[in-house]
Amino acid sequence: MWNNRLSGGSAAPTIAIYSMLDPAVHSELASILPASALLTSAEETRPYECDGLTMYRELPAAVAIPENEAQLVEVLRRCHGAGVPVVARGAGTSLSGGALPDKRGVLVAMAKFRNIVAIDPLAQTAVVQPGVTNLAISVAAAPFGLYYAPDPSSQIACTIGGNVGENAGGVHCLKYGLTVHNVRRVRGVLITGEIVEFGGDSLDSPGYDLLALVHGSEGLLAVTTEVTVKLTPKPQTAQVALAAFDDIGAAGAAVAAVIAAGIVPAGLELMDRKATRAVEEFVHAGYPLDAAAVLLVETDGTPEEVATDMAEITRVFAATGATGIRVSKDERERLLLWSGRKAAFPAIGRITPDYYCIDGTIPRRALAQVLLRIEELSEEYKLRCANVFHAGDGNLHPLILYDANVADESKRAEAFGAAILELCIEVGGTITGEHGVGVEKLPQMCVQFRPAELECFLAVKAAFDAKALLNPGKGVPTLSRCAEFGKMHVHHGKLPHPELPRF
Amino acid sequence: MPAMNAPADLHPPRPDAREVADLVTRLTADYGERALTSRAVRDQHSHGEGLADAGLPDVVVFPHNDDEVAAIVRLCHAARVPVIAFGVGTSLEGHVAALYGGVSVDLSQMNRVLEVNAEDLDCRVQAGVLREQLNAELKGTGLFFPIDPGANATIGGMAATRASGTNAVRYGTMRENVLGLTVVTADGRIIRTGGRARKSSAGYDLTRLFVGAEGTLGIITEIQLRLYGVPEAISAGVCQFATLEGAVQTVILAMQHGIPVARIELLDDVQMDACIRYSKLEGFEAKATLFFEFHGSDAGVAEQAAQMQAITAEFGGSAFEWATKPEDRTRLWKARHAAYYAAKAMSPGKDVFATDACVPISRLADCVLETKADADATGLVAPIVGHVGDGNFHLCVLFDPDDPGERARAEGLARRISLRAIAMGGTCTGEHGIGVHKLEALVAEHGEAVDLMRTIKRALDPRNIMNPGKTVPL
Repeated sequence: MWNNRLSGGSAAPTIAIYSMLDPAVHSELASILPASALLTSAEETRPYECDGLTMYRELPAAVAIPENEAQLVEVLRRCHGAGVPVVARGAGTSLSGGALPDKRGVLVAMAKFRNIVAIDPLAQTAVVQPGVTNLAISVAAAPFGLYYAPDPSSQIACTIGGNVGENAGGVHCLKYGLTVHNVRRVRGVLITGEIVEFGGDSLDSPGYDLLALVHGSEGLLAVTTEVTVKLTPKPQTAQVALAAFDDIGAAGAAVAAVIAAGIVPAGLELMDRKATRAVEEFVHAGYPLDAAAVLLVETDGTPEEVATDMAEITRVFAATGATGIRVSKDERERLLLWSGRKAAFPAIGRITPDYYCIDGTIPRRALAQVLLRIEELSEEYKLRCANVFHAGDGNLHPLILYDANVADESKRAEAFGAAILELCIEVGGTITGEHGVGVEKLPQMCVQFRPAELECFLAVKAAFDAKALLNPGKGVPTLSRCAEFGKMHVHHGKLPHPELPRF
Repeated sequence: MPAMNAPADLHPPRPDAREVADLVTRLTADYGERALTSRAVRDQHSHGEGLADAGLPDVVVFPHNDDEVAAIVRLCHAARVPVIAFGVGTSLEGHVAALYGGVSVDLSQMNRVLEVNAEDLDCRVQAGVLREQLNAELKGTGLFFPIDPGANATIGGMAATRASGTNAVRYGTMRENVLGLTVVTADGRIIRTGGRARKSSAGYDLTRLFVGAEGTLGIITEIQLRLYGVPEAISAGVCQFATLEGAVQTVILAMQHGIPVARIELLDDVQMDACIRYSKLEGFEAKATLFFEFHGSDAGVAEQAAQMQAITAEFGGSAFEWATKPEDRTRLWKARHAAYYAAKAMSPGKDVFATDACVPISRLADCVLETKADADATGLVAPIVGHVGDGNFHLCVLFDPDDPGERARAEGLARRISLRAIAMGGTCTGEHGIGVHKLEALVAEHGEAVDLMRTIKRALDPRNIMNPGKTVPL
């Protein structure tokens, strides 16, 4: 796995690498696709060499860009027949290498599947092709007073096909659920070329819940060609409160207290002092600089509901020791308070040469304990760590700040990250909340799951794809593999697509 | 798990009689009085509340913990003898029938609430915990578990059949409310799926695969459930309509407006008549009726109720009859939950089966009204009741089991309801599951996806010992 890792920023090889695709397979694909939709030269395939996890790069043997489902079916059928691996790619925003090409195989880019097929305001659903961006669905539904609720931070770029593959969440999934809760039906093509409908238009679908299996399957089970999403009526109003705490444990306890009070906020985010300071210098949102941690909590609904919830939230914050509470008075202020949170990752990138982003999820009530333990680990490993994350879900994103040019800092950062993930598992959590396993977290899968559980995963995979040709080497480790922890490395703050908001 | 790689034995299991006898001997030796072979006990474990099914288990075992369940399944796996999980037998689709004999694993003695985590709003229970028992134990914590199928089923059975209930509109079904499971696999190993974390993108969603698998992939022994805070204010209202159409149109409009009503139940004139008599409801007429319940803050509930009244008035609804006192509400919902028994009481001696169509909300009026006309034309008594907020409704079809003509008319009606729902983009089973009765309908509805389900069944249960003959046609 590590042999295809390039250190960030190193120059790309200059020699053209010729297609390794079997000539017979190549001519079959050429008979299906127009010449412009089958790329094989290194210059043409280079843009597809990696996704958001840039430490892994690989040139595919070919890139196929089908225009319709019939072409996709043929591409898959021929590849299956010839034993050629296939990796499907949406917008390439995966943070775990989900769209990393296989050098022996065909990368199928779904970029031409961009139609919004239908919007049914009565049934509150939209039928869309997989290459439609998450945000475009909400834009199209807006005239009907509806929107698509899951909102991963990369929503202006990430596609619904990728959202299904990763079971994407977002700031508002605390109240509105993950992708799996907001999709009624997925139409997909198996590696054999067989077309299958998962789920249906009605609320429940009998038999095994294949629709849930496809969600978060990271492109290992089927290639999505159409999705029916559930649309949600837009809330009449929304309000956000920012609460400051002088103790990070108290902030963690406040999160649990809000939920335990029976409130389901639309969003509930935590940032620690390192994060708020970096952000404040960057966007000047008016965050308190002396607080050990701040919580951002949003509530939405009718004006009465928002007022009731906000009164309760401020009461709980005061009772849990908040040193200051600021409630947005209008839409402008609401957006200003959120702007800091949305810019958190680029802001951190400005204060450190490199950072590792960890993505673990823990039961909410362990938040305070885990945050304090991370502070201790920070001293132990002598590395700074900034925390900014979806606290309501217990989804942590600790950012370990380091400098790859300082002797042994990379090593210490990796060990620190591994310790955090072990801590997540120890308190009953999981090693990835929303970024997926991809190639990045295969080793940790062995820590989180026992062999009997991994075998169940492998049996499911085999039922869909007996030859293991679809997105091979990702998602679920083979039983023989168990090793080190891997993390997302960001060198000199250089994220791919730096213009995109993250996390 | 080498068995998983072994070629799947696809034939219906016909366990060797000597193997079965040896297994029964072994189980009675291991479990003593907790392994029963009397005819009465075996008979009781051969069917749920629906029609009686053929298929007696050879032995019924009452395990006390996960390890015992695993040990039983390991013995069955080695002897290639079927294993059927049993809760309290409230299934309506023949899920528990031992079609090929074998071992019925009765989980009713695994009935402990293992932990309640108020701060995480979740709890972990053993499979045999009853839903009413769980809510009784949660009393005092300020939390409750909302999913309420009519029967007082076990949580394990509800998970295995992906049960729903009257408040699915607001709280979802078991699909949305099971966070994790402990499952004994077909070769007798214990696995845990999901967990306490609210989201995880690690591995495939095995939790939801086992939820609704009706015991055909493994036996669920523990369930991690999502809990909810008891709402600050609850009010229930009843509104009666001159026409069935008016009631259905009200539901559709309410859903489109996104009114977060917690429960919205439709009873047609026949069902309302039955409920008035059976549950002695006073002050109501035998008319198409909607039961509502609103949850939230005081202001929120008042606001929702006002919005709803504006809609009902538009469709000729009566003034609301309010039940704000808990005991009045309980009486009202008890009457609703007893609808199946009320229907049955209309014609003592007749058999009854419940249909379970679910359609997209935009087709609900068409489906309900066509079905009502269809039922009337058969001359059978077939009251309609449903959690219409999610497009799901049931007919309790009454028929004389000894009258072949009546039976044929009843079966014809049920078949047409399934096909009508499927033709409208819906499903033949909104919540009761497939069991043995709806295997054909599943194929009609899912096409190629059934092939995949079959492959998954073979991959996870290559010897086809887990509740064979159910859920997925092999």
